[in-house]
Amino acid sequence: MMSDITSIPGDRPSAAPIKIFGFAAIFLALAILPFVWDNRFYISLITQIMIYGLLAMSLDVLLGYTGLLSFMHNAYLGIGAYMVGLFLIHVSPTSLWLACLVGVIFTGAVALPVGWVQVRTGGLAFALLTLAFGMMFHTIVWKWYSVTGGDDGLMGVPSPDIQLFRWTVGNTGDPTHIYLLTLVVVAICFVLTRRIIRSPFGAVLEAIRENEERAAFVGINVRRYKLYGWMLACILAGIAGALFILYKGYIGPTTMSAFAGAGVLMMVLLGGMGSLWGPLIGAGIFIYIQDYITTMTEHWEIYLGLVVILLVLFMPTGFVGMGSYLKRMRRN
Amino acid sequence: MEAFLCTDDLCRQFGGVTATDCVCIDIEESGLRSIIGPNGAGKTTFINIITGRIPASSGKVFFQGSDITNKPTHELVRMGICRTFQITSIFQNLTVFENVRIARQAHKGGSLKIFSTKRSLKNVSVDTWDILERLGLQDQAHQEAKNLAYGDQRVLEVAIAMAGSPQILFLDEPTAGMSPGETNHISRLIRGLAEEISIVLVEHDMDLVMSISDRITVLHYGSIIAEGLPEEIKTHQMVREAYLGKDA
Amino acid sequence: MTGIATAVDIALNSLVLGGVFLIVAIGLNIIYGLSRVMNLAHGSLFAIGAYTGYTLVASGLNFFVALLITPIIAGFVGLILERMIIAPMRKRSMIYTLILTYGLMFFLDGMIKQTWGNEPRFIELPIFMGETLSILGTHYPVFRLVTLAITAVVMIALMLFLNKTRLGIILRAASTIPEMVSCLGFNMNYVHIGAFVLGSALAGVAGIIAGPLTTIDPLMGHEMLISSFVVIVIGGLGSLRGAVYAAILIGVVQTLAEFFITDLAMVIVYMMMAVILAFRPLGLLGEGKFE
Repeated sequence: MMSDITSIPGDRPSAAPIKIFGFAAIFLALAILPFVWDNRFYISLITQIMIYGLLAMSLDVLLGYTGLLSFMHNAYLGIGAYMVGLFLIHVSPTSLWLACLVGVIFTGAVALPVGWVQVRTGGLAFALLTLAFGMMFHTIVWKWYSVTGGDDGLMGVPSPDIQLFRWTVGNTGDPTHIYLLTLVVVAICFVLTRRIIRSPFGAVLEAIRENEERAAFVGINVRRYKLYGWMLACILAGIAGALFILYKGYIGPTTMSAFAGAGVLMMVLLGGMGSLWGPLIGAGIFIYIQDYITTMTEHWEIYLGLVVILLVLFMPTGFVGMGSYLKRMRRN
Repeated sequence: MEAFLCTDDLCRQFGGVTATDCVCIDIEESGLRSIIGPNGAGKTTFINIITGRIPASSGKVFFQGSDITNKPTHELVRMGICRTFQITSIFQNLTVFENVRIARQAHKGGSLKIFSTKRSLKNVSVDTWDILERLGLQDQAHQEAKNLAYGDQRVLEVAIAMAGSPQILFLDEPTAGMSPGETNHISRLIRGLAEEISIVLVEHDMDLVMSISDRITVLHYGSIIAEGLPEEIKTHQMVREAYLGKDA
Repeated sequence: MTGIATAVDIALNSLVLGGVFLIVAIGLNIIYGLSRVMNLAHGSLFAIGAYTGYTLVASGLNFFVALLITPIIAGFVGLILERMIIAPMRKRSMIYTLILTYGLMFFLDGMIKQTWGNEPRFIELPIFMGETLSILGTHYPVFRLVTLAITAVVMIALMLFLNKTRLGIILRAASTIPEMVSCLGFNMNYVHIGAFVLGSALAGVAGIIAGPLTTIDPLMGHEMLISSFVVIVIGGLGSLRGAVYAAILIGVVQTLAEFFITDLAMVIVYMMMAVILAFRPLGLLGEGKFE
């Protein structure tokens, strides 16, 4: 401790070299994976895990860092996905980056007024409103048949080529290519989000999580920063949505249901909130188990509910919390 | 000359109860003003209104000539009106250093630097250390706030408030629950601060109030019943009645 | 149908719908006001009420007898949930309780599907309730009028209970100053249990009277949960009077929206909620003393 008092006063050391090395190693291992292990099913499953991991991570920005609860964060994944899909179908089937940009900006444009209303109401009402607005978006895509395809979902979304500057490096219809694209985008989002969370801006979000009133009484415009946090989380969810539609080529209203929203919440809980990488792991565990259980029972809902209850009652810090708990045990 | 901070017929009702009843007060640019009164006299309500924690029912608050009635809290803090709370209000899971730094950062700016590191705001860290040293918290800087002794948490709250470079600082019972030693420490600290800025102290400890205040205002049932130097208040007939009943 | 008849029809439908919203929302509000728990499984208790009513009536019981038994069963379920799941969470932060009751909602919905299946059910009504009554030119179904009457009876009974009985007054006091009530020697544990049982029983009553209005399906709880949120958020968290105004308002808006645009009626309701909250963040009668 004394060392950093004398060097730069009072900051916790930033990312240790070993962490950067570990991150790079995981990234490289995942990048090489599809070339050494030719299993379409698992490559596709890992793509899905990464996309939902990004969504869960974006929810963690709200839940773990700003102390705000969003029950239906999947709604913003859905909005982004529908918009990208509609753009590819109706406007330009080949403009990948433009479609993604439009999708993410549209997600932000929807999230802004919703967030503006939500942050005005206080913590509990904020959570209730995320549920109400989420249900509203679900109802809209479900009933607005002429645009969204209603119950059938958005089908026949074209798979554009992945172009970097002038070169075509792949096609989103190819499982390996979309896997690699997802890996790169999720990794970039992870690094940027981590950077943002550890910036002075992140410190403000944490202060709001810790004690909203005190935060206001040191001069922080709490509503405004909550809105910034909300926008960050929704834009990340929109990016996840863009990846989702490129990966699946299809989206239906069930992706935006309350049930799917509870799943995202559970990924964050499983992984442990307030760590960013915890929810990524949580997404992995969740999607793997879901894949396993849905083949066995039709009453998946009961188990989802039961696991959420047990997690909150007995393991509120999730997987990450268990790690630091074990560390503390060993130290004592 | 216009007043530094003053209120004009400030009122607040809760349902049918009037907690603050047409209070007019003038506070000087520096020095220590204590607000005392029996339990339920409306002391905390009064400073809650001024600092923007609850809205006024009627009346106005002026600060350096401008109307600040019912302004949002964070704007008041930016203008230099800071406070501490009767029930300790700190960022429990942050370290002592981070507690003060976030307050300093909110004052100095730079909260929107989303891609910088926290340590890039050098002047914020340096100021934070100055404040911690001044209040004697530097040795606990890296402890989580929730692990501090109760007295130190109260001092930390003063440190957080000071990080906003207040021009006027409201302290709501800063010594409540403290040991005599801790009380002594914090009272010297408050007295020192009062030489530079304006301090408004709400306090129950009469010995403390009488020994360190420059002026005292007495509230009773939401209205001011007396105001003056400590010696005047000690002998004031209405104050004795308020505290001890009519027959005393 | 004439214009007046349509108007009468819409007005009565609004009241019926608003009445059901009101009973559910008041139950939710009572639980929140007394024990500071926002129970997201409340909609599931409403569904349990509807299914219980269906089972009782289907087994040959008179509708009105079922109407008395259902709240008792729903209240009992509420009691079990409070003791087993909610009580251990009381000291934890709001976010955890919300997530917990959210999990509970899915658990209960899953159990409902397990028990009663996915296909819609209908409550068989006594013959006289299947007829219509002529009011100002419209032929209005009798069971809807009965529903209205039951709603009124429940609300009046609730008001009398909260305002005139000793227990009710203690409960109301507990919602404002819990410390004082526990100082006076009342066990706050019982207050929490009482609130949960009462709230759940109200959800159960709403379930059985809503049964004949709509079809009973496992998703009915979700929709009702959201509607009752909208009611208490617009009315102001913890405000009973606010809930009454908001429920009637939403009953009217939703009935009108359903009459004119059918499918996206709920969207109109949400939009209205957003507009109201933009101007009054704490709801119509919220006082801001709740989180």
